[in-house]
Amino acid sequence: MESLYLLIPIALLFCVIAIKLLLWAISSGQYEDLDKEAWRILADEEPAKPDPDTRDKPAIPNSDD
Amino acid sequence: MTGAWMAKYKLPTSTMPPPAEARTLEASTTCFHCGEYVAPDLDLSVVIDGEPRAMCCPGCCAVASLIAGSGLESFYRQRTNYNERPPSPDPSDIEQYRVYDDPVLAATFSVTQSDGTVDASLLLGGVSCAACTWLIEHSLASLPGVSRALVNLQQTRLDIRFDPAQQQMSQIFAHIDKLGYRPRPYHTNTARQQAQEQYRSDLRRLAVAGLGMMQVGMFAIALHAGEIQGIELQYQALLRWVSLPVAAFVVFYSARPFFSSAWRHLRRGALVMDLPVSLAIGLAFAASAWATMSGTGQVYFDSVVMFTFLLLLARFLERRSQQRQLFTWADAQSSLPSAATVRRNDQWVTVARMQLQPQDTILVKAGESVPVDAKVLEGSSAVKEDTFNGEHLPRGVAPGDTIYAGTVNVDAALQALVLVDYKDSRLAALQRSVEMAQVSKPRLTILADRIASWFIAGILLVTTATALAWWQIAPEQAFWIALSVLVISCPCALALATPAALTNAASALRARGVIVRTENALESLSGCTHLLFDKTGTLTEGDLTISQVRPLGDMDRATVLATAAALQRYSTHPVARAFSTIAQASGFEQVSYHVGAGLEGLFDTKRYRMGSRQFCQDLVPDFPEAPDATLYWIGLCQEGAPLAWIGLNDSERQESRGVVDAARGMGLQIELLTGDSSMQGPLLARNLGIETVNRNQSPQQKMAYVQQLQRDGAVVAMVGDGLNDAPVLGVADASFAVSGATDLARSQADFVIVDGNLEKIVETLRKARQCRRVVRQNLAWALGYNLCAIPLAALGFVPPWAAAIGMSLSSLLVVGNSMRLNQRTPWKASTC
Repeated sequence: MESLYLLIPIALLFCVIAIKLLLWAISSGQYEDLDKEAWRILADEEPAKPDPDTRDKPAIPNSDD
Repeated sequence: MTGAWMAKYKLPTSTMPPPAEARTLEASTTCFHCGEYVAPDLDLSVVIDGEPRAMCCPGCCAVASLIAGSGLESFYRQRTNYNERPPSPDPSDIEQYRVYDDPVLAATFSVTQSDGTVDASLLLGGVSCAACTWLIEHSLASLPGVSRALVNLQQTRLDIRFDPAQQQMSQIFAHIDKLGYRPRPYHTNTARQQAQEQYRSDLRRLAVAGLGMMQVGMFAIALHAGEIQGIELQYQALLRWVSLPVAAFVVFYSARPFFSSAWRHLRRGALVMDLPVSLAIGLAFAASAWATMSGTGQVYFDSVVMFTFLLLLARFLERRSQQRQLFTWADAQSSLPSAATVRRNDQWVTVARMQLQPQDTILVKAGESVPVDAKVLEGSSAVKEDTFNGEHLPRGVAPGDTIYAGTVNVDAALQALVLVDYKDSRLAALQRSVEMAQVSKPRLTILADRIASWFIAGILLVTTATALAWWQIAPEQAFWIALSVLVISCPCALALATPAALTNAASALRARGVIVRTENALESLSGCTHLLFDKTGTLTEGDLTISQVRPLGDMDRATVLATAAALQRYSTHPVARAFSTIAQASGFEQVSYHVGAGLEGLFDTKRYRMGSRQFCQDLVPDFPEAPDATLYWIGLCQEGAPLAWIGLNDSERQESRGVVDAARGMGLQIELLTGDSSMQGPLLARNLGIETVNRNQSPQQKMAYVQQLQRDGAVVAMVGDGLNDAPVLGVADASFAVSGATDLARSQADFVIVDGNLEKIVETLRKARQCRRVVRQNLAWALGYNLCAIPLAALGFVPPWAAAIGMSLSSLLVVGNSMRLNQRTPWKASTC
C-alpha cells in the first residue's frame, strides 16, 4: 500500500496536465462550436463529385437531356 | 451527473426529415425542401437521390435544383431540420450585393492578408442545423478562388478566405443567397466580444470542475469503501490531504461566480438561489478542510465538487442559448438594402445606404426595397407595405406622397427626395419601440427564486437552533451536528429543479423543429391565459391565391385562367404571383402595364384588359359590379365582352383551424391582432371562431394593447412574423415567430418555428405545461426530502456519509425526472 504515496501524486500530475491541455484548447478556440463538431464527427460524408456537364444547370426533370 | 449533458447532446433522432420509406406518403403534402404544405394543384418537383420530390414554390425549387445540381444531395439525408422557405428567385436580388465590392464597405467586415487573399466574416440567416454548415462549406469550397470556408453554427457566422483576383465579394454573397440563406456582413462589437470571452471562461470553469470531480470522486470511492471495510488512519489522511487541493481549486476557481453573485445580491438585500448554493459549497468545503487538518469528523469534498459541476453545467447550457441570441441579433436596419442608387453630379451612382443624406435624390426601381423615408418626385407606382401593416394590396403613390424605408416598390421606378436620416425614419421608430418592449417585458419571478428566499431563512434558523440546543446537551458534538444539518439541507436538488427541466424541454422542442431562444419563456408560456395571433403570414399563407373564378361570358374557367396568367406574366405586382403556377396561353403581344390600373395586351388582334372595374369599363362600358367585398376581385375582359371576375384571397393555413381549436381547448383566450384594415381580418376570425378581433393596429398600438392586457393580469403569448410584430413579440410574456418571419421578428421571439407548421405552437404549449409539472414535482421532491431529512439530522441520527449519499441521490433523481421531458423516438427511426 505504500505505493499509493507514489501513484497518487502521479495521478494528480496527469490531472494537472489534462486541465492545462483543456484550458489551452479552449483558449485557442477549439471549443467555439460544440453543436457542429458533435454532428460532424458522425457525418463526414464528402460531396459526390458533380458531373461537369450538369453543373450549375437546374436538375428539373423536364430539361431536354 | 451526465443527465443534462446527454440530454443536450443526444443525437437528433427527430422526425425530420422523414425516412425515405415513410416519405412516399408524405411527399404529396409537404415540400421536400422547407416542409411547408404544397398546394394540391401545384406541380413542381426536383429530382433528388433519383426520385422526384415535391416543392412548394419556385424559391424552394431553385435552391433544391442548385443543391442537387452541384452534387450536394446528401445534405438532404444528413439534415435534422427542414430548411427555411426561400423567397422566389429574382435576378435583381443579386444586384444588391454589388455594393460589397466597394473596398471601403468591405473593409468593415474583411481583412486583406499579406499574400493578397481576403478574409471575410459574414452572418448567415436561415441556418437551422449542422448539415446546413456542411452544405455551405462544401458548396463555397467548390467555387474558384475560395481557399477556406468555415461556418460556426453557434454564431451562424461564416469565415471565408478567397482570392479577390478570382472571386468577388458580391459573388460570394450571391452564392449563399442562391443556396437559400441570407448573408449579411458580420461586425464585431463589444457585446459580441464580451459574450465570446464569457463563453470561454464559462467553459474553462466547467472543464476544471469536471476534471476535478473525476479526480476527487476517485479518492472519495476509496474513502467511502474505507468507512465500510475499515481503513488505516494514515491512508485515510493521505486521501483526504490529496482531495483537499483539488477541491480547493474547484471551489476557488470554478465556483467563484456563485459567490460573487450571492454577495452582489446580498449587498442589495436580495436573497437569491446563489446564496444557499454558496453557503452549501463554502461551508461544506470549510468543514471538510477543517476535518482534514484536525484529523477528525467527516469530509464532503466529492459532494462539493459534484454539486459545483452540475450547477455549472446547467448554467452553461442555459447561457449558451442566450448567447446564440446575441450573435444572431438583427435590428430593423438589417431589413434594408445595403445599397442605394443616388443622383450625384447628374449621374446615377450606387452608394452604400449609410452614405445617403437628406435632400439626395434617389432612384428606387421596381421590385427594390425603399432604403430611406423619402418623398416621391417623379413617377407613379405602388408600394407593398405588408410587413408594416399586413395589407396585401400595395398602396398607390404619386409625386408628393411619402414612401417609407423597408417597404417594397412594386410597379415602376420612382425618383424620390430623401427626407430624413435613418434615425428619424419610421423604421427607426419601430426599432425604438422594439427596444422599449425589451425593457418593459414583464419578468415573472422564477418559482425557484421565490422559494429560495424563505428556504434560506428557514435553514439558517434551524441550523442555529440545532447548534444552540446541542451546545446545551453535548457541546463537543454541536459543531458536527449543525454542519450535517447544513449539508443535508444543501439545496442541490432545489437549485437543479428548474434548470434541469427547462434544458431538457428546450432540447426536446429543438428536435421537433422549435428553436427555444429564451428558456425562461417556457415557464411564462405554461401559465399564459391569452394567445394572440397576427393575421397575414401567420394564420394565413401570406400570399394571395386564386379562390374563385366567375365567368361572365361563355369562356370556361381554364381558358380564363390561362389568359389571365399570360397577361400577369408581365407584372411584378403581388397579384401576379397568384398566377405564376398556371400554364399560360401563348400568343399575347404588346402587353403594357398601366400603373395603378391593370394590364392590357393584344391577342389575335383583339384587345384584352385585366384590372380594376374602372379600367375594364374603359374597354367594355357595361362591365358589371364586383360580386362582393369579401375577396380581392380582378376583372378580365376583351374588346366588346366582359370575360370574368377572378377573386383572390389570402388563404388560411391548413392547420390554422386545428391550432386555434386546440389552443381554445387548453383554456386559452384566442384573439386576432392585425395591422390590416380590410374586412379580411374579421372574416378570417369568424371562419376560425375567434371572437375578439383588433384590426388596423399600428405596431405601437399592438404593443400597447398587450401591455394593457398584462396590466389587467393576463399572461400573453403572441404569434407573429412581420416587422410590425417585432415590438409586440418583444413585450409579450412568451412569443413565437413562424417560418418566413422577418429577421427582426425572429430576434424578438422566444420561440422560432422552423418548418412553418403552426401545430408546433400547440406542441410547445403542451411541452411547457409538462415542463411546469416536472418543475413542480422536482421542487416538491427537493423540499420534501429536506423536510424529512433535516429533523433527523438535527436530532443527530444521520451519519455524515448517509447525508452525502442522500444529497447526491436526490440531485440525480431530479435530473432523471427532468429527462422524461426529452423522450424521443428510438434511434432506428433516424435517417442519418
